[in-house]
Amino acid sequence: MSWVHLWCVVALLLASVLAQTTPKDEHFHEELVVRPLSGDHVNTYFQFTTRWHYGQKENLYHTQLTPRVIAELLQQFDVKELHIGLTQGLWRYETWGYPIVEATSGAEMWAWFKGPNLTDEAVDKQWAQLANVFSGVLCASLNFVDNTNSISPRHLLRPQFMPANRETFVRYASLPREIVCTENLTPWKKLLPCGSASGFASLLNSGYVHNTKYHSLGLKVRTLCQDYDEDNCILELTQTANLVYDLRLLEQSGNDFSLRRLFGMGLNGYCELATTSKIYVQCNELGARYQLVPLPPAEVKTTRGGYTVLYGVYDMQEQFQDQGERLFNIAWLAPKGEVRRNRLKPAPPPIYVHRYLLGQGQERGRIVTEVTNSHYAPLPIVVQELIPWYVHAYLHTLNIRRRSMGRQEYGRETLPFKLLHYAPGKQRELPTHLEIGFLLPGQSSALITIDVDYLVLKWLEYPPDANHGHYINAALVSSSLPMGTNYSALPLEGHLFAHSFNATRPSYVLGLHTEALIVSLPTPDFSMPYNVICLACTVVALAFGPIHSVATKVIVVVRPTSAGPRNFLKRLKEKLFSRGGQESTPMEGKREGVVPDDPCPNEKADDDQEEEREGKEEAAESLIANPFESLSSAACPTVWDL
Amino acid sequence: MDAKFYKLILLGGAVRFYFVRTPLASLISDRVEFATPLNSQKRMKEGIYLLDQGIDPYSGDLVHETPLVLKALSGLFLNFPQWLPLIYIMLDLLTGALLYNLSVRFVKQKLQKQRLERKNYAKDTEQLQYNDDDNYDIPELVLIAYLFNPLTVLSCIGLTSTVLSNLFLALFLYFLTKGLLLPCIFLLAFETVRSFYPIVLMAPLLLVFARRSFAGGVILSVLFAVACLIIAAASYLVIESWSFLDGTLGFIFYFRDLQPNIGLFWYFFTEMFEHFRTMFLITFQLNATVLYLVPLSLKLRKEPLLLATVLVALMAVFRAYPSLGDVGFYLALLPLWKRCWKYMAHGFVVFTFFLVTLSMMGTLWHLWIYAGSANANFYFGATLAFSTGQIFLITDLLFAHVKREFCLYNGQKIMIDGEEARILLK
Repeated sequence: MSWVHLWCVVALLLASVLAQTTPKDEHFHEELVVRPLSGDHVNTYFQFTTRWHYGQKENLYHTQLTPRVIAELLQQFDVKELHIGLTQGLWRYETWGYPIVEATSGAEMWAWFKGPNLTDEAVDKQWAQLANVFSGVLCASLNFVDNTNSISPRHLLRPQFMPANRETFVRYASLPREIVCTENLTPWKKLLPCGSASGFASLLNSGYVHNTKYHSLGLKVRTLCQDYDEDNCILELTQTANLVYDLRLLEQSGNDFSLRRLFGMGLNGYCELATTSKIYVQCNELGARYQLVPLPPAEVKTTRGGYTVLYGVYDMQEQFQDQGERLFNIAWLAPKGEVRRNRLKPAPPPIYVHRYLLGQGQERGRIVTEVTNSHYAPLPIVVQELIPWYVHAYLHTLNIRRRSMGRQEYGRETLPFKLLHYAPGKQRELPTHLEIGFLLPGQSSALITIDVDYLVLKWLEYPPDANHGHYINAALVSSSLPMGTNYSALPLEGHLFAHSFNATRPSYVLGLHTEALIVSLPTPDFSMPYNVICLACTVVALAFGPIHSVATKVIVVVRPTSAGPRNFLKRLKEKLFSRGGQESTPMEGKREGVVPDDPCPNEKADDDQEEEREGKEEAAESLIANPFESLSSAACPTVWDL
Repeated sequence: MDAKFYKLILLGGAVRFYFVRTPLASLISDRVEFATPLNSQKRMKEGIYLLDQGIDPYSGDLVHETPLVLKALSGLFLNFPQWLPLIYIMLDLLTGALLYNLSVRFVKQKLQKQRLERKNYAKDTEQLQYNDDDNYDIPELVLIAYLFNPLTVLSCIGLTSTVLSNLFLALFLYFLTKGLLLPCIFLLAFETVRSFYPIVLMAPLLLVFARRSFAGGVILSVLFAVACLIIAAASYLVIESWSFLDGTLGFIFYFRDLQPNIGLFWYFFTEMFEHFRTMFLITFQLNATVLYLVPLSLKLRKEPLLLATVLVALMAVFRAYPSLGDVGFYLALLPLWKRCWKYMAHGFVVFTFFLVTLSMMGTLWHLWIYAGSANANFYFGATLAFSTGQIFLITDLLFAHVKREFCLYNGQKIMIDGEEARILLK
């Protein structure tokens, strides 16, 4: 039960933090981490942290550094923790290692709710409102988040605040179709105390940020309260921007780069409201081959879970101590004449994931999630799937096959589930929610497959570009690593990047996202509604007419038409006029006999057959004169009722 | 029950057994023409799996089989999946045998009735009367039509639950001809709770068991309602929730799944304007149930089995999720009306319709879904034409029946002024 253990540690640490700080204190920190990645990529990670020990809830009305909208959030909703990610691009675990903050392509959002007398319905309502609020705040399409694409994860997500009791609610949603752009970056920067005027945020120019291979804006809010006491709380707002530059796209010779190259300008100083403004530059591993100009004034060596990283630290407040307008720049100079393939290639991280779609056509397919464990020991894996309602998943087809690292193909060996949570989806109402847990043996891969059917939607439910396809959300994969290789996420109780230094723990909770998928559903012809309605109704009428005429009409015996007028026009005329005026003006040269279809055999049983026929002929004769009379005075009235 | 019967049954079993072992079986169980959301084996498996896992199968959108069937088959599906095809084949053969027995009894009843009424028949109508040879011919034809119709064979090897529906319907019709009231009512109630549309078969049931008394009809209706309630309650006990009602009957009535099938609903409601949807839903469901019920019951009040045949056929055309297995079932009942065939004028047209549309469906589906070179309209056209063909067949049968009845009493040749007259409906 290492989980409970971890909680105790967190609780203790939080308690000590709360005890030290006095109410009313509010701090803002800005941090920038630059890490060279393999394959000529550079990761720059901005973290802006506002930490406000607001104490009682009433104090939330008087905001200083914390944006008002965040403070109001806590007054209006029972939300205790909120994560929003807006991401473009795909983080490549195999070559880049693990990011400092995890995000999936598109928009992603999850929140924890806790409050007195909170019910599931109330949380659903608050969740939708919350999404709408942030749709406005970040100019993202989060307003599309509702119950049709939200789930409440059972096992995978863990709260980062202190749930005093277990009565917490969580909601998760992601919008893989969302495209992240300037209109999200600008409002995101406005939440910072200095805006984009000064400080590290001035580096985030949309022209450069959106040129990157991967960019992810994050927003995390959490409240930390002392034990059960809601009157002694801390509000923590963490805004992150995680960017990956491809140096080959920076139009320059060699592999040198600098802050100015990456962001279009040097740093103009620090945010005056910030308590700390620090730049951390990774100097070992892939960073070792660069020569830094200027050299970092300080260095930090951090060993975490047996994994050592060396950071050069630039404190901006020291750099800008003396007066004068200037721009600060750091340059990374690569050795000249370096052969590319001799370069150090990092070992792949212990766990990485991929996902793809099998099958062809627009009828059905199979979602495949592949998790690879390159560590030597078995690792616990939890996978969370959110399959949108327009795709039907069949739980009975779910299986996990295993393959050792050396093998090429998956055999028949399957892995048993240690944990399975499944909530089936419902069209237009609920997504399919699947969480599975299993133990993945060391040096092997697991192939998780589930069969799906693609649905036909109503014609108005297709997006404007119907043949673009529909997205299937990325799966979340979580594990607990015994070592800190490649792991750089913040520890649970820390709020600054600096808190991850030397933060050795018994285990490291890892969260990964797979790729999102795109499926093409069968599309109807959008120009057809009237035609389809007409045609289908015609076919119904084809049945309706004859069946009702069989059921309601009487049988008549007619002399063959050959006796009638041969001329087509005359025949037409006859047809037209025979409709109404037949009974009063019987046609010349034509005689009709109307005979009941069921001549009441029992009553006429004694009559001779021939006589009956004659009698009928007579009846027919009289019918021509006045059919209605004969109807009413027929020998056996039951004959005529239908 | 002669040697020929057993030979046919064995041969029918052999055909099914041969095909169930070919790759055709898995292909058919995925074809939309045979496997609808209601009857597909994949969904049945899913339902049983969910039930086994303790998850309410009806909380999702995949399972529309009743809890009773799921529970009854769960042991089989979970423990002996390899025996499943064999069981389905046995059930299908049982359906064939029931239809055979039903027609034996039917022909006997017809002959008996004919003997009483013979003196009223016109002279030259031997051709229209059932004769002693029919004692053997008609049951055999029925059996052949059921066992060797590709539609039923494929529906069986695709392991669709239409096999079960057909079995229950055959049992119902069998008990109807046998005159056993309680099994009839219970089977009908079971099928009604399962797939809603068989409720229309109350009409033939009432015509058989409560011919002359209104009170009898009321009592039977109450009995039927009670039977439905009992079956619903039993289903409730199985999963301890009423969600199955919405998952089965609600799903059928509201037509939630727009997956293409051979019926008229899917494209119609895909392309429907949202504000007309409810109206057309009600219209179409009325069309599939009560619209033809009253006139046909009045017209065919002396032929409850014909009424049942026509209603089953109309059901197969107009129900929300029809499959070709349903079509195969009513086609097997047509030989019962062999003596009407003389007057069925559209035989060739209908046959051509069936042949062309059924072969087009596979092609057009492939072009739409896999090749991407056709669109939904093509497939819709094929299903529309197929429905039209079926409607021709049904109306043709009705016309033929009416004409036969007329000619039976009035002679096949009615002369007016020395010329042969034509028979028309007016």
